[in-house]
Amino acid sequence: MTAGTVAAGRGFPQEGASGEPSLLEIENLRVRFELPAETVRAVSGVSLSVAPSETFALVGESGSGKSVSMLSVMGLLPSPPAVVSGSIRLEGREVLGMPGRLLRRYRGRDVAMVFQEPMSSLNPVHRVGRQIGESLRIHRGVARSEARRQAIRLLDRVGIPSAATRVDDYPHEFSGGMRQRAMIAMALACDPKLLIADEPTTALDVTVQAQIVDLVRELQAEYRLAVVWITHDLGVVAEIADRVAVMYAGRILETGQASDLYRATRHPYTSGLLRSIPRLDRSVTTRLAEIPGAPVRVVSELAACPFDDRCPMAADGCQDALPELEAVGAEGHRSACIHHHQMGSASSLWPEGTAAGRQDSEEQPGDVVVSIRDLRVHFPIIRGMRESRKRAIRAVDGVSLDVVRGKTLGIVGESGCGKTTLGRAMVALVRPTEGTIEINGEPINHRSGRHRKVVQMIFQDPFSAMNPGMRVSDVIAEPLRIHRLADTDAIRDRVTELLIQVGLPPDAGTRYPHEFSGGQRQRIAVARALAADPEVVVCDEPVSSLDVSVQAQVINLLADLQARTGMAMVFIAHDLAVVRHVSHEVGVMYLGEIVEKAPRDQLYEDPLHPYTKALLEAVPVPEPDYDATQRTRLVGDVPSPADPPAGCRFHTRCPVAVEGLCSTVKPALEEVNPGRWVSCHLVSPPAGQPSVAH
Amino acid sequence: MTRRIDLRRVAQYGVVVVVAVTLNFLLPRLMPGNPLALIAGVDVGMLTPDQRAEIVARVGLDAPMWQQYLRYWGDIFTGDFGFSFRSSRPIVDMILERLPWTLLITGLSLLVSAVVGVLLGAISAWRRGTKGDLSMLSGMISIESLPSFWLGMVLVSLFAVQWGLLPSFGAVTPASDLEGWAHVWDIISHAILPVTALSIVGTPGVYMTMRYSMLETLGEDYIRTARAKGAGERRVLFGHVARNTIAPVITVLAIRLGFAFGGTVIIETVFSYPGLGRLVFEAVAGRDYPVMQAAFLVFTAAILVANLAADLLYPLIDPRSRTS
Repeated sequence: MTAGTVAAGRGFPQEGASGEPSLLEIENLRVRFELPAETVRAVSGVSLSVAPSETFALVGESGSGKSVSMLSVMGLLPSPPAVVSGSIRLEGREVLGMPGRLLRRYRGRDVAMVFQEPMSSLNPVHRVGRQIGESLRIHRGVARSEARRQAIRLLDRVGIPSAATRVDDYPHEFSGGMRQRAMIAMALACDPKLLIADEPTTALDVTVQAQIVDLVRELQAEYRLAVVWITHDLGVVAEIADRVAVMYAGRILETGQASDLYRATRHPYTSGLLRSIPRLDRSVTTRLAEIPGAPVRVVSELAACPFDDRCPMAADGCQDALPELEAVGAEGHRSACIHHHQMGSASSLWPEGTAAGRQDSEEQPGDVVVSIRDLRVHFPIIRGMRESRKRAIRAVDGVSLDVVRGKTLGIVGESGCGKTTLGRAMVALVRPTEGTIEINGEPINHRSGRHRKVVQMIFQDPFSAMNPGMRVSDVIAEPLRIHRLADTDAIRDRVTELLIQVGLPPDAGTRYPHEFSGGQRQRIAVARALAADPEVVVCDEPVSSLDVSVQAQVINLLADLQARTGMAMVFIAHDLAVVRHVSHEVGVMYLGEIVEKAPRDQLYEDPLHPYTKALLEAVPVPEPDYDATQRTRLVGDVPSPADPPAGCRFHTRCPVAVEGLCSTVKPALEEVNPGRWVSCHLVSPPAGQPSVAH
Repeated sequence: MTRRIDLRRVAQYGVVVVVAVTLNFLLPRLMPGNPLALIAGVDVGMLTPDQRAEIVARVGLDAPMWQQYLRYWGDIFTGDFGFSFRSSRPIVDMILERLPWTLLITGLSLLVSAVVGVLLGAISAWRRGTKGDLSMLSGMISIESLPSFWLGMVLVSLFAVQWGLLPSFGAVTPASDLEGWAHVWDIISHAILPVTALSIVGTPGVYMTMRYSMLETLGEDYIRTARAKGAGERRVLFGHVARNTIAPVITVLAIRLGFAFGGTVIIETVFSYPGLGRLVFEAVAGRDYPVMQAAFLVFTAAILVANLAADLLYPLIDPRSRTS
């Protein structure tokens, strides 16, 4: 089905194996940004080709050059500071150096692009319909009314309900998923031959991501589109890609058919990525493989393998020359590793080891540290000069939970389900409207914050969660000082000890947060959270802003620290595979309520609530050939928590809802078998045979 | 989507007005010393007890506080600000006489600095990082650091004294009885120097806001989206950048409009221009407290009206601010 080949370096033949002409051909693309302080080499000699109607995935971490390569295909890099060289041809026509007038005719008509952040990528002051129609007005010169008609048709095609009325909405009136659909409609307006999708689902929920992936696949067949899908998510890649190129440090390290790349990996970096991501189809009793270090930033011309310093196979010769892509194994499969023939099994290359404390998911509960009963957190909607009592965002609406010493409670759910608010309530960053939170049997005190000695939090974004003007040692020592836990000398020793515990050099304390990479900063955040020796640590999406290769490091660190200190953890995340990997028990939240709560293995192996099932089915499996089309998809978006549906809150999106019952009667959260709670009319206790783990 | 005037906003401004008026009422009564001196403006020590009682009764200082307060509000609504104790004229007359001149020069200068600031700011941002942008930027920073009285004096000494091109003081030529176009030209020629001074002082702020706002907008993702659609530079600039850029600029302009009134004190004094600012200067020099207080109310009102206008205008530009 594919035609192109991928090659690096000058003078490689660019014809497809079957002789079919490529749609897009990139040859020895180099991009450098000449910044005042230094020159950053974002792309260093990338060559690839994409055939018509093909889906090509460009995989890499931040700074790998994947987006920059594709922005140069669009001619969208700002120059200065960008300096682009090499060759980019679409249907044989050279794009680099194209005069502005021609370039504008080509953009949006021949090649269209969808971006990561659908909210910021839409102009907030113009109506959605107008923005979609704009391409038609630019390229086809159609009248305003015709552009609007076409916009309605396109919105309808990408699955916006009642498109004829939504066409006049502003972007902020759309949900995240709808905005990305609108972006896709915009891209398709002029029937392009190539669609570049730059992390189009990264900012979206997993359920919405699945919808968007389906939509693009459908449209691709319908419009005979070639798609370049830029992503860091190997799961999504396996679902959609015909061919894949893995980028690192501005180079393609490995490329080939998706199935070859996943099954017969020929580059240690690719295999490291595949081994280090938590997966639903692997055992959780293993410790994740870690790629040490962090992605590099290339400032001088590459003269050696850029992955060398993180590579377990690094050996003689790796530092001698820049390895070029060479054919390995199957047709079109190429690797830029000079030792690729030595690649044995990935498990020996990236050992996983056994994780401490992961096996005992079914063990009897120990003592309860945090006890939450019927917790409600409502945020009043300010109308007029006073708060409206009736209308409120019901962020958390009747949650009861226990967190057990030494164990991790995972909380999953889509954005807007209230999981973050629940976490913040536990740390007393928000005040409950009703209900109680007890820590070690004592109600938390909202006035003094004293209990934060016992409960600590790790936030999602380690960049903004740390005072940039404080030295790392002061960041870490602050909890000790606030709670007067130690004198000056003892604090210094404790900080050093914490730095070592989280895997940072002891002298890191004298530096400032901006000198560290994202993964290192999250380690600092972990050290700070642990400083006061808390009994519970609430982690709110602690790895979702980190690079894939770094996530495993932080996940393993948290698990190790838990095993060592016996602390309880609450792990809030949208990524079900990550939550599965770290949790002993998992609660699934929907619109402020817990809809299912169970020991980890029971929940993942035999989900009972339709919402849990849908969430699990939406998770892309990093396995090509996995048949994704048979899965049930959740439709639509999460309803507003200000006005939750009557009856079962999930019934508006539930594939098995019973008319008359689910829409009127609210199901109670009931224990269907020991430790396992579900709130669904269709799962009645006793729920037949309890499913058996393992 | 509602385009009605946001009543909640208006009500918030009402609260601010009440607070401002109340403060204005309380200040002279809370200050140390005899409030009589501040309110009636009389050299109290020189009066006989009878005279003093008579004045206290006349201005109502013998009534209970709440009655005085209600009366104060009544006075404001009937436009009665009392009498200047220097000229013994009704203050409202003095203000009404001065207001048009101040409106003339602040209005014109704001218009000039808005147009020039927005244009140059836009050009600067569009050519960001170029030599033109950087020299314009440093030029504006230098201008911003010029003291306005110094600028006024330089203008007077060059255009009025050195070259004799324009009159150096007043708003009209005294006792000239000009009519028709000659009169209009007389007013214009008197306004040119103060308007120039105020415009020069006001432009850098507008320029900086505009340049910054536009740089911000140019870096937005939706500008990249517009380019990705194949939009030309003109379409990007007028279709996508302009409206998003101008919203914060309008807010800044409205706030400046309010403060421009206060800014006239120095310039009107330098040019001996018979506006509100000069009235305030005279009142301060002569310790004419009733006039100062009335002028304070007028300045407050100007700032509030300008801010309210900006608040009401903003939703027309940015649809996101329409829903609460």
